[in-house]
Amino acid sequence: MEGAVSYQRFPKVRIREIKDDYMKFELRETDASIANALRRVMIAEVPTVAIDLVEIEVNSTVLNDEFIAHRLGLVPLTSDDAMRMRLSRDCDSCDGDGQCEFCSVEFHLNVSCDSDQTLDVTSADLRSTEPRVCPVDVAARALSLGVDSTSYDTGDHRGILIVKLRRGQELRLRAIARKGIGKDHAKWSPAATVTFMYEPEIHINEELMETLTLEEKRNWIDSSPTKVFDIDPNTHQVVVVDAEAYTYDDEVIKKAEAMGKPGLIEIYGKEDSFIFTVESTGAIKAYQLVINAIEILRQKLDAVRLQDSEESDFGELSAHL
Amino acid sequence: MNAPDRYERFVVPEGTKKVSYERDTKIVNAASFTVEREDHTIGNIIRMQLHRDPNVLFAGYKLPHPLQYKILVRIHTTSQSSPTQAYGQAIEDLDKELQYLKKALEEEKVRYEENLRQGY
Ligand SMILES: [Zn+2]
Repeated sequence: MEGAVSYQRFPKVRIREIKDDYMKFELRETDASIANALRRVMIAEVPTVAIDLVEIEVNSTVLNDEFIAHRLGLVPLTSDDAMRMRLSRDCDSCDGDGQCEFCSVEFHLNVSCDSDQTLDVTSADLRSTEPRVCPVDVAARALSLGVDSTSYDTGDHRGILIVKLRRGQELRLRAIARKGIGKDHAKWSPAATVTFMYEPEIHINEELMETLTLEEKRNWIDSSPTKVFDIDPNTHQVVVVDAEAYTYDDEVIKKAEAMGKPGLIEIYGKEDSFIFTVESTGAIKAYQLVINAIEILRQKLDAVRLQDSEESDFGELSAHL
Repeated sequence: MNAPDRYERFVVPEGTKKVSYERDTKIVNAASFTVEREDHTIGNIIRMQLHRDPNVLFAGYKLPHPLQYKILVRIHTTSQSSPTQAYGQAIEDLDKELQYLKKALEEEKVRYEENLRQGY
């Protein structure tokens, strides 16, 4: 493809906030197709590890085997290694068995109740054979206890409830966690929510606005279901206090028209600026989720390239002549 | 019991090509690409990237049916280019954009954390 011109874009990012399971950032100078592809990949195609096979040895609980297997699958597991792990489907070390160290992690659970008090079986009862893969709530607690035992509220936090046992009931099982993606089953999705919005651009027609009385201004401001505008207490001018609170509901525009002041306000979504909110389940950190999504999208693009042998039809014109 | 395997949604069956294309029989420099086991995620970014190419007269994609796990991308270019060239260029540009984005995000994180340290 020598001499081919490039139509590449150079997007800009600005991080507003990062926490382990939360991230807010601005993405600019690209279009909605890229923003949406990233969102879709974060939800459905960034891999994690989740319990996928359960062998029940004893289950005398009130829940049936498949119900418990399903609940175990939904427990988020720390998946920092998932990008490096193999999918059982194409693991050649275990020949499709999906139980080797390269493509799986084994868990054991063994709880029985012999008191009159109800016993909770939780994620904390899952014993992993690989310390790097364990329930995320257990990992978070271990981390906060190690650093500062008072910082985390340890009072009522006893893990993710799987089933409750009464006297004489028992649950014993072996579980295999495997790498997978949300497209296969939602239990593998690392994303709790991923959203993006267009950055709003709000223009107030100041001249027209000054034809309104203070009372009319208040009425107009109150027509917005979210708090986007307010009145400056000194100048009595209408000001934008939070442009991003606008939900593109058009209410203020309709209100202006109803008041006989069309054109009082104009609001556009800037089509190349997005505000992303990413919430992770904890399986991977929110920031890492975004990075992994970019990497996965690149891998997907790489897979849809035409093979070199097919790409040699530059002489198409001559073929037609 | 006879439900199809879930992975059929994203694993290309053996003996099937990931990407194939067919030239239009009536129009010069027009072709349809069939991309197996892909959806709107890939289809839409390729289409939008193709629209940035002035030699592309038409670019569109469709997901013919939700249970047929493939997309069709149709491209018509001027004689200055060809559908395969435009397709390849679009992927190349998208890949470079994402590579750039990843680097920008990593640098931004360093800056963000530096600001935090300075008690912003
Ligand atoms: Zn294996």
